[in-house]
Amino acid sequence: MEKIAHAELDGDRPPADDRSGMTLKIALVGCGKIADGHVEEIQKLPGRARVVAVCDRELLMAEQMAVRYGLPAHYDSYERMLERERPDVVHITTPPQSHLPLARLALAAGCHLYVEKPLALDHADATALVNAVAAAGKKMTIGYTYLFDPPALEMRSLIAEGAVGKVVHVESWYGYSLHGQFGSAILADPGHWVHSLPGKLFHNNVDHVLNKLTEFVADDAPALDARAWRRHPVHFGDARDQMQDELRLTLVGQETSAYGTFSSHVKPAAHFVRVYGEKNIMHVDYVSRSVTLEPGATLPSAVGRLVPPLGQALQLLRAGARNGAAFARGDFHFFSGLNRLIASFYDCILEDGPLPIATREMLRVSAWMERIFAQIAAGHAAPAAGAPAPGPGVSREVAR
Amino acid sequence: MTASGATAPGVIPGGGAPPRILITGATGFLGGSLVERLLAHGERRLRLTVRSGSRRARVLAAAARHPGAELEFVDANLVSPSDARRAVEGVDVIYHLAASLRGAPADMFLNTVVASKNLLDALPAGAGRPRVVLVSSFSVYGVAELGRGVVVDEHTPLEPHPQKRDLYAHVKLRQERLFREYAERLGFPLVVLRPGVIYGPGGSAFSSRVGLDLFGLFLNLGGPNLLPLSFVDNCSDAMIVAARAQAAGGEVYNVNDDELPTCAEYLAGYERSVRHLRTLRIPYPALSLLSRAVERYHTWSRGQLPAIFTPYKSATTWGGNRFDNGKLKRLGWRQEVPTPEGLRRTFDWLRSQLPKPP
Repeated sequence: MEKIAHAELDGDRPPADDRSGMTLKIALVGCGKIADGHVEEIQKLPGRARVVAVCDRELLMAEQMAVRYGLPAHYDSYERMLERERPDVVHITTPPQSHLPLARLALAAGCHLYVEKPLALDHADATALVNAVAAAGKKMTIGYTYLFDPPALEMRSLIAEGAVGKVVHVESWYGYSLHGQFGSAILADPGHWVHSLPGKLFHNNVDHVLNKLTEFVADDAPALDARAWRRHPVHFGDARDQMQDELRLTLVGQETSAYGTFSSHVKPAAHFVRVYGEKNIMHVDYVSRSVTLEPGATLPSAVGRLVPPLGQALQLLRAGARNGAAFARGDFHFFSGLNRLIASFYDCILEDGPLPIATREMLRVSAWMERIFAQIAAGHAAPAAGAPAPGPGVSREVAR
Repeated sequence: MTASGATAPGVIPGGGAPPRILITGATGFLGGSLVERLLAHGERRLRLTVRSGSRRARVLAAAARHPGAELEFVDANLVSPSDARRAVEGVDVIYHLAASLRGAPADMFLNTVVASKNLLDALPAGAGRPRVVLVSSFSVYGVAELGRGVVVDEHTPLEPHPQKRDLYAHVKLRQERLFREYAERLGFPLVVLRPGVIYGPGGSAFSSRVGLDLFGLFLNLGGPNLLPLSFVDNCSDAMIVAARAQAAGGEVYNVNDDELPTCAEYLAGYERSVRHLRTLRIPYPALSLLSRAVERYHTWSRGQLPAIFTPYKSATTWGGNRFDNGKLKRLGWRQEVPTPEGLRRTFDWLRSQLPKPP
């Protein structure tokens, strides 16, 4: 049964065709955990956008969100929301199984798209989604928020200045907690949608590892080796026991190689990128929001061993001071990257500028994900000979 | 005692059989006590919803103490409508305790409000509808603007601004409203109990009404306010009395014990009996000023730090009220465990949980 929001009944909502200046009308579908972050950050951009409605197939979920954030309307019918609200942009924050059909409906309604990662259920859907956006002449971005976090911006600036020289190798590490807000919800429910994804836990997180590599590994199809296994104790007797939680990746491109790590058990749950150049090694830390260079010894003998840590300490001190100054200005938020990405995307719509994230990068990530999950699945069926001890899901793909 | 681990309800005996009672959240702190007290009150046929991986040892031990007890475990997540249907099939009484106490807002609404909706949607049509006892909370009352010392009873208005309160209050208020909407529409007998601070062995040491732990420093915020304690077994007894009384249908009952200590007395008792704390007393006027400052900072910084204190939240939690359990007593409830005894048992248990010195 279709239900419509309280504000519609109250009649205090502006007319659907009221486009006030250049303020984008935003609608969101999927009122789960990550949706809170979207609405909070959009509400920090009052000049550029306003959230006009949220939708969830469970009306109570849409209602709670509308009440908590003071939103004018909420729906359990997506089609009805699109028809009545006529949003300029739809944020799709549902599980990936529904991204493509929801995106098609939004495009048909003339909307631009912000799609949470992963882009779609598989690479074929991701390609279809990108093609549909292009055919509709609309813009799309994806929730690769860490690419817009302060340390990522600083990293790019320093690399452009030549701080590390030509990049030889990159390492992307993403630590995860099975007992955090997201992990505990997945572990608590064998029916959680993550368990039905082809790549299960990795499917919902490995974007965070891969999307930091695409700007260094230029190849469409680098050699790729994926190894995965389960480390959490087996005791549920259901789908949760099939969920692997450790993943190691090696990619070798024409110019640059890369390692990727997703770990649920290394503590603390680190989150960093290391860029290995011909001149310097750079450590980009997303947890402490610091970027440091690790130069080699430039002075002779024991002095060459003495000076580098002092230099690094000084860099960390400067990073801490910069962060402290940002905090004092009230400009040091948890979702900085999300805010910057949303703002950049809206700007690109309003000014018809370039996309904050190129669609080629989205597709390369989805293609790599598909190869990773295929390797893991193959490993399940036939564990590789001589595989390391932890691994029922260990597999290996020969470099192409 | 027999215990069944079947994932589907068994055959329900015909007329004349004792009632089959469903308890959701039966492996939780309050649920475990309710199972024990129901058995002590002579009930024998209990169906308990459990989540895979939840601990059943306590309820099994309780059943072992009562010959003839028949426990049926239904592995059910009420977020699933089909699980909810399996859970309610053939029951005569439902004690709905399952609720999310913490977590992300979406998870709390899903696991409490949406789960409740599924339970209500699963109720059978017609005269065979079970009697439903909902465990709500004191937190649904809108006390922010009542002023200090006002008595909170069943006539106190409900919270008009749930979004200004803590998430738990918001969730419980919506859950209670949902039950009322369904009870009115479907016409089943609903009894709502609103306990204060449920405490006892197995529970937590401090309600936020007493104060908050801030990185090892305990902020004593409640001070001279009365702490509306409800010893867990007394609370279970209240539920049973309300479920059995025909007069309770459609009614709301506040649940709190007599001889209530102040928050400061509770804290002092804890420190005497369990362990010493580093505490900082913040009187209410100072807390009000602090709350205004925190709220202004939160707004200015666009949410850089969470608004853990706001004038509205502080007024609801630490404003200071008095409490009345007269309506529950008139229904026939008597406090079995006196408050000094409840406190002694609780502090003894908390002390037993302290890490042992090497």
